[in-house]
Amino acid sequence: MKQLIAILEGIGSTVRMLVRAAGFVPTLPRQLPRFMDQCYQIGYTTLPIVSVLSFFIGSVLALQAGYSMESFGAKEFIGSLVGLSMARELGPMMVAILLAGRVGSAIAAELASMKVYQEVDALVTMNIPPERILVLPRLAAVLVMMPVLTIIANLVGWFGGAIVAHSVEFIALDPEKYFETLRRFTKFDDVASGLVKAEVFGFVVVTICCSIGLNTRGGPREIGAAVTKAVVVSLILILVLDYFLTKALM
Amino acid sequence: MSDCHQTRNPFTHDESPAVGVKLEHVSKNFGALAVLKDVSLEVHPGEIFVLMGPSGSGKSVLLKHIVGLELPTSGKVSVAGLDASDPTTRGKVRMALVFQAGALFNSLSVYDNLALYLREHRVTNEAGIREKVMRALQILSLENAARKSPSELSGGMRKRVAIARALVQEPQLLLYDEPTSELDPVMSATISEIIATLKDEYHVTSFVVSHDRSLALSIADRVGILMGGRLLTVAPPAALREPTDPQIADFLNPLIDVKNPRFKQLEA
Amino acid sequence: MTTKENTARVGLFFLLGVALIWVTSETLSDGKAIKSRGYPLVAGFDNLKELKQGDDVRMAGVKIGSVQETRLAGRRAEAVLRIDPVVQIAGDATATIGSAGLLGTNYIAIDLGSAGVAPLAAGAEIRTATSADLNTIMTQLGELGGKLDGALGSIGEVLKGKDGQPGMFQRLDALLAENSSKVDATLTNLQQVTDKLNRGEGTLGKLINDPRLHDELLAAAGDLKAATAEARTIMTSAQAIVDRVKTGQGSLGTLIYDDKAGQDLKAIAANLKDVSDKLAKGEGTLGKLINDDSLFREAQGTLRKADRALDGMGDSGPITAVGVVAGALF
Repeated sequence: MKQLIAILEGIGSTVRMLVRAAGFVPTLPRQLPRFMDQCYQIGYTTLPIVSVLSFFIGSVLALQAGYSMESFGAKEFIGSLVGLSMARELGPMMVAILLAGRVGSAIAAELASMKVYQEVDALVTMNIPPERILVLPRLAAVLVMMPVLTIIANLVGWFGGAIVAHSVEFIALDPEKYFETLRRFTKFDDVASGLVKAEVFGFVVVTICCSIGLNTRGGPREIGAAVTKAVVVSLILILVLDYFLTKALM
Repeated sequence: MSDCHQTRNPFTHDESPAVGVKLEHVSKNFGALAVLKDVSLEVHPGEIFVLMGPSGSGKSVLLKHIVGLELPTSGKVSVAGLDASDPTTRGKVRMALVFQAGALFNSLSVYDNLALYLREHRVTNEAGIREKVMRALQILSLENAARKSPSELSGGMRKRVAIARALVQEPQLLLYDEPTSELDPVMSATISEIIATLKDEYHVTSFVVSHDRSLALSIADRVGILMGGRLLTVAPPAALREPTDPQIADFLNPLIDVKNPRFKQLEA
Repeated sequence: MTTKENTARVGLFFLLGVALIWVTSETLSDGKAIKSRGYPLVAGFDNLKELKQGDDVRMAGVKIGSVQETRLAGRRAEAVLRIDPVVQIAGDATATIGSAGLLGTNYIAIDLGSAGVAPLAAGAEIRTATSADLNTIMTQLGELGGKLDGALGSIGEVLKGKDGQPGMFQRLDALLAENSSKVDATLTNLQQVTDKLNRGEGTLGKLINDPRLHDELLAAAGDLKAATAEARTIMTSAQAIVDRVKTGQGSLGTLIYDDKAGQDLKAIAANLKDVSDKLAKGEGTLGKLINDDSLFREAQGTLRKADRALDGMGDSGPITAVGVVAGALF
């Protein structure tokens, strides 16, 4: 019962935070440097790990597909399998999980420590709402950066799959053929649905991490707890939302 | 020479009415724990009011009520006649709080810490902001620290930066939470001097929460003593040099005095 | 790392992302982003099979557009094709649904049509034809085999007997045994006949000694072999043969689908039965048989060929069976 109330309180304060942040959207142009800084943190510095991971996810997909399809001679369809699963599912999902782990945890830690060390209180007494300068630029930045990260993840994954399909001996699939089937079965609608998914995931991750960070109470010990909670809640929400989004976008 | 009921702006030397604070029967509970019990007090415009009390007596909580960070369970807090629990009051009355640990923005340089308020409220252009920030840093002898990060500063410097940051807000009401805690005696004296200077020069209403006896007795116009959530007394510092109430005497005259009969009682 | 540098990086990064999204969209949708490109054509089919939106439209194997939409329109299925504006399609061009590979997707194949025919306008309906697929060809071949079975079976019945009745050979045997003395007597006559034959007198003699007839037979067999080879090469050729057979062209077609030929065949079978019956009843004599030598030779030849045909049917697939039967019968 107590936990249920805590969950409802969490939802309530998150919604209130979002509504307030939405009210400050007109101040966004003035906050351009802050927004750019967040774009840099969320997008640019996340790119290397996104690239590496999506490359290997594409490779593993191609390898697995090659292993199981080779036995009934359908290996030319590796391209379509990698193409579709990266674009529709694994690209956005993986970027969102990396975002939760890398950016979400950082956001939660930063805001939680600001809260614990009274920086947030200081902002409030200065009549500067934390939603305006702490939450809004991050939300705007994640919305702008997610499609970029996701499309790069998709393309890198596709190429990773092509390289593996070509260079692994028992598959040895011509890249031309790989991309031919990829193009034949993967439509831009699939990619677009992945981008929409990524936007929702990114928005949810940043919202959750901001909310949990700003609602931290107590001493420095709570910062770690807030980070753990933020990442766990983000991951759960990504997976749950993924199901409903996949259904809705079909 | 302006009278004590006008606040002089340290930058423009414009004068605006000094503000008073009024608490009426304020009680605050955290769950089952009663932190403030029916506290009523008034801070006059332009004076330095020092609230003393042992740790955990509820001083900082009372302070937070004034800036609206905490809302009273019952009773009313008003600043310049406006309800402190209303968030819009913060936009109407310029108040600044100097936090115990400084609460400096760690991600920003000292300069940007001071400039944040001015930039966010678009007080003036970048050149004007620079002028104001440098002036505030100069008042607190911090000119050389402008480009430093808060993490590079010593405890005393952090406190001074926090005061400077409060100053650029051109406050009508300045609140200090334990301004001399964790500081060596020399630094404590410096901070005390700064608070007194701000009052004398600019007639800012100051509300200081502290358990530093020497600070209270040297700079306060009036001293309040809060113990266990109750306000025991409000008196001029002179009246507290020889307290009659044993509780207050115990607090003001350290227990380490072995001749104190109550210390012997505690030992037994 | 100054803020300005970071801003530039973010800007570059964002532009890169937008460019990549655009490139991906262009590549994957074949310029579907600019949707109004090309003009539409409507193609109606009984069955669109596996055809779906986005499949290629090819003219003589060259991609000239894609399937924009598939829909049901009344009692038929329609595919709306979007054709590259630089391509003009002759008014008499025919669209068929082709398939690339066994598992692969389908595409619309449009032939070149005739030169000089006015091109189709936007939104016009293109002529369509039902294309052969593996299933229909197999079904038709099966039907053909069944018909052949029927025709050959009736011949077999005559020769081998049916329902306990003695076949032609048994009857001949019995006849010979019963009439051995007469046979002896006739053998002399036969000798004379043979001499006559050797001299090229009489119908049978002409048959044996005239090389022209033999050559004609050989030539006919050669023609059929060529047709058979064609039948083996590709599915479509098989279809062509089946079509030809269906329409009654060609020798096999004539045999199976031409009523007259069919009746001829039946008549032959009936005649044989007649003869065999007469033999059984002892009607007529061997001399009569020999006098009517053309009939006997005809029967023997047919028998041998039919036997070969039956053997061929036994161990070959339907396609080769067509060839074997055709080769054997003619």
